[in-house]
Amino acid sequence: MSTRAESVSSSLPVTAESENTAASKALIVGGVGIALTAAGLFVSGGGKVAFSWLVGMTFWCGIALGMLFLVMIHHIFDASWSVLLRRQFEHGLAAFKWLLVLFVPLLVSVFMFPGAVWKWMNPAFDLSAVGGHGTVGDDILWVKKSALLNPTMFLAITVGSFLIWWWLSERLRGASFAQDNDGDLKWTYKNRKTSAFGLPLAALSLTLCIVLWVKSLDYHWFSTMYGVWYFAGCARAALSVGLLIMVWLWNRGDYKGILNHNHFHSIGQLMFAFTVFWAYVTFSQYFLIWNANVPEETFWYNLREINSATGMANQWKWVGMLLLFGHFVVPFLALLSYKRKLSKTEMPWVAIWIALIFLLDLVYNIWPSKKDIHGDALPLLQLHQVWTLTAVIGIGGVCVWAYLKSFSTTKLIPIRDPRIAECLTYHESTAD
Amino acid sequence: MAAQPYGLMAVFDTVPAVFHAAEAVRDAGYKFWDCITPFPVHGLDRAMGVRRSKVPRFSLAGGLLGFTTGMSMIWFTGAFDYPLIVGGKPYFSPMFAFPVSYELTILFTAFATIGGMFILNRLPMHYHPVLKADQIVRGLDDKFLVVIEARDPKFNLAATKALLEKAGGKEITELEA
Repeated sequence: MSTRAESVSSSLPVTAESENTAASKALIVGGVGIALTAAGLFVSGGGKVAFSWLVGMTFWCGIALGMLFLVMIHHIFDASWSVLLRRQFEHGLAAFKWLLVLFVPLLVSVFMFPGAVWKWMNPAFDLSAVGGHGTVGDDILWVKKSALLNPTMFLAITVGSFLIWWWLSERLRGASFAQDNDGDLKWTYKNRKTSAFGLPLAALSLTLCIVLWVKSLDYHWFSTMYGVWYFAGCARAALSVGLLIMVWLWNRGDYKGILNHNHFHSIGQLMFAFTVFWAYVTFSQYFLIWNANVPEETFWYNLREINSATGMANQWKWVGMLLLFGHFVVPFLALLSYKRKLSKTEMPWVAIWIALIFLLDLVYNIWPSKKDIHGDALPLLQLHQVWTLTAVIGIGGVCVWAYLKSFSTTKLIPIRDPRIAECLTYHESTAD
Repeated sequence: MAAQPYGLMAVFDTVPAVFHAAEAVRDAGYKFWDCITPFPVHGLDRAMGVRRSKVPRFSLAGGLLGFTTGMSMIWFTGAFDYPLIVGGKPYFSPMFAFPVSYELTILFTAFATIGGMFILNRLPMHYHPVLKADQIVRGLDDKFLVVIEARDPKFNLAATKALLEKAGGKEITELEA
């Protein structure tokens, strides 16, 4: 089996040319998306475009973080079937340094326009503009949380986290790629150690970042589930992208003779497991707040359901219902079927659906914090959501470019990984 | 006429031998037959043409039953049979009924899966004709056995024996019912 793998990957230089062309195209798409989003500054203003940019950043950082976690989980469990998928995730990790660069506009906004995105950046922010009273500086709920919610911590944690993710990625990538050349087992052990300390580091930094980036948009709110909620979404989006890559490489012929139906079954099972995990976490957050019924917490969901001015349901209520059914019920039922998990025509649609609904989940968590003078959420369907799309496409183009650039530099699969033979002959379930 | 035997049993020495014998028996169109191996042989189900287990259908039914039991039980006790306000909440809401329904979904799924497995494999089985044959001891140790039952529509003592011989089977014996 491994000889076949080598012959397949040795044919890579032939296709490297096409990958570079594809990478250039992705970069052009990314550049156009970023330019359009920048143009949006003159149409909708900086405050709204920054929210769109934040959606794009959390979406693509989420996918990259999901990949980082899955690679480290792979190493920590000494897994075998996922060896070939791990290589594709390693390429995805190449995006982190560019994601840091793309986060810079938001960091600049913190110092040039404090309060434009995160109200609490500016203690003089007048809360009456968003349905409150007094200023942020007078607000006891900010004062009590100000040890974390201040520009210095924001800058330090954001930049520090990106550096941690970048550093972990380079360690994992470097050792894995080096093993392709010499087959030395020390690289496997090195990655296992990296993962052992990398998992808690990444978990902590992911939680702090999502709390600062998104949860603190409504800094009154409390939720102990927030970091786990984001992690669940990250893992689901990363697995979906992983499945799309697997099908893409299968259809292109690269994975012929390498993948068998058990690999597809296993990634489908993981997608299913994380669907249940996401639902568990998201329901826990909602249920505890619903049950305790404390105003400091329930306002977050009220904002996403009714307009206080009219008492009528707003558009976000239907987004919430769509998340309940679209993010859980539909993928849950779709992924129950064994046959569907093996289908290379149906699963890509399930994967695209999950990735897009993860995006919607982020929109649902970010956008309602943009409020009118009554403190009600601005409706979903407005012109400025165009900039959310351009931001997602723009940042996505850069991430895909980084992935493809890395893809063309290494072997298709880690041919000298100690588990590669086990992976290629992976056998779990049998008859179909 | 002597009593119809339970079936025919053949002994094979190696995994590849029993694997190819299984393929031969499958291709000959037999339905009521089995392989007995001392350890799981990867891919043997496919070589035997065994279809996927029907246990998941029991599991799904159990899960649906568990979920509806949880929801309806809480609605019945809290909102219908003895309406009672608890914690200022509505008489019934899927919110607080969900954790219980979810637990019952898992519990009933587990019961249905275990039960479905026992129904489908007809265990426990206190008597099986194969256990009377001497070769079964080796079949649980270091030999591989193929058993074709007489109730199979394709079964024909001479022809089936010939098939097993052709597939490389040794010590072909008629099993007493």
